[in-house]
Amino acid sequence: MRTDDLIGQLSANLEPVKRGAMARLLAGAIVIGVAGSAVVMLGMLGLRHDFSSAMMSFGMWTKLAYTLAIAVFGFLLVERAGRPGAEMSKPALLLALPVLAIILLAILQMSAPGADMPKLVMGRSSRVCATNVLIVALPTLAATFWALRRLAPTRLTLAGALAGLFAGGAGAFVYCFHCTESTAPFIAIWYSLGIALTTALGALLGRRFLRW
Amino acid sequence: MIAQEAQYRDWMLAALMGDAGAYRMLLSGLTRHLRSYYARRLDASAAEDAVQETLIAIHTRRATYDPALPFTAWVYGIARYKLIDEYRRNKRRATVPLDEAGELFGHDDAEEAIAKRDVGKLLAKLPPAKRELVKEIKLDGVSVADAAARTGLSESAVKVTVHRAIKSLGEEVNPGGRDADR
Repeated sequence: MRTDDLIGQLSANLEPVKRGAMARLLAGAIVIGVAGSAVVMLGMLGLRHDFSSAMMSFGMWTKLAYTLAIAVFGFLLVERAGRPGAEMSKPALLLALPVLAIILLAILQMSAPGADMPKLVMGRSSRVCATNVLIVALPTLAATFWALRRLAPTRLTLAGALAGLFAGGAGAFVYCFHCTESTAPFIAIWYSLGIALTTALGALLGRRFLRW
Repeated sequence: MIAQEAQYRDWMLAALMGDAGAYRMLLSGLTRHLRSYYARRLDASAAEDAVQETLIAIHTRRATYDPALPFTAWVYGIARYKLIDEYRRNKRRATVPLDEAGELFGHDDAEEAIAKRDVGKLLAKLPPAKRELVKEIKLDGVSVADAAARTGLSESAVKVTVHRAIKSLGEEVNPGGRDADR
């Protein structure tokens, strides 16, 4: 086909783009993905037994705030990864905020008098925490990939990693409702490891599955 | 700031609201830059295919343009992606600069319009059948497949004919020049 004819066809079939079309697509993916992650968490692991009393505890709110912040900032980056030419390094700096906050809190707790180091760091579920976060994050990762493919990611490995970061944060957030750990050092290490695993998986899959 | 940014952005915003006229101007304008961008990086038929693929990508992904961001950077992001895609398909490894929208918008056919006059004179030296093929493929952006269908030649025969014709023209301009065939 001649290029001029192609231009003619494309402009003849031009339809106006609704405002917020991209936002709706991403919002849909989040809802579906996080719902999927919640189903996996409830089905495979179950809600923590002391759910209602835990919602009053500082540890629970620490976990929720940390993972939610990662998910929100991760999402901002995913949205940019789907737009060619968008600036990403400045929003990436925001990620330092929750990470620094949890590290600070962890140091505070570990340096408190009479701190029980093994309990603070290893808790009771350190061996399964990171893999559980990864597994719970998978539905969100899949939904985020699905949405990203409909946008225009131009750096596939990076876009995949950011999708993983967002899914890891969201998955960890959902996992909070199962996990009974509440110390900052545990969260800083094992939750972060789970999020990092999901990020690495996203980076690995990006090149292959985000092509368009 | 790239000179065409404001004009292209205006056209794009109008196109997003459904203005087909503005959209046509936009795509025609971008085609000139894209053609020159890919021509310097791919061989002729692949370059024109890449131009078309990029136009289609711009069309299908137009919702991803954020009016708060520079339009030229958006287009360059897509053009760069399609270039890498083309390299990947041909198993070529390459690095393509990330933030060089100027790479795309620094050149267009304007300089080439002057060159075109001279090209016309040169082309006249070719036999008519060859001249027509070279003109279609190199200047008008007809794909090799279409040219082959029109002439009844095989695609590889078309490529060879065009390649030889260009080479002979190179001899014409630069007799005995060693870089005529790059």
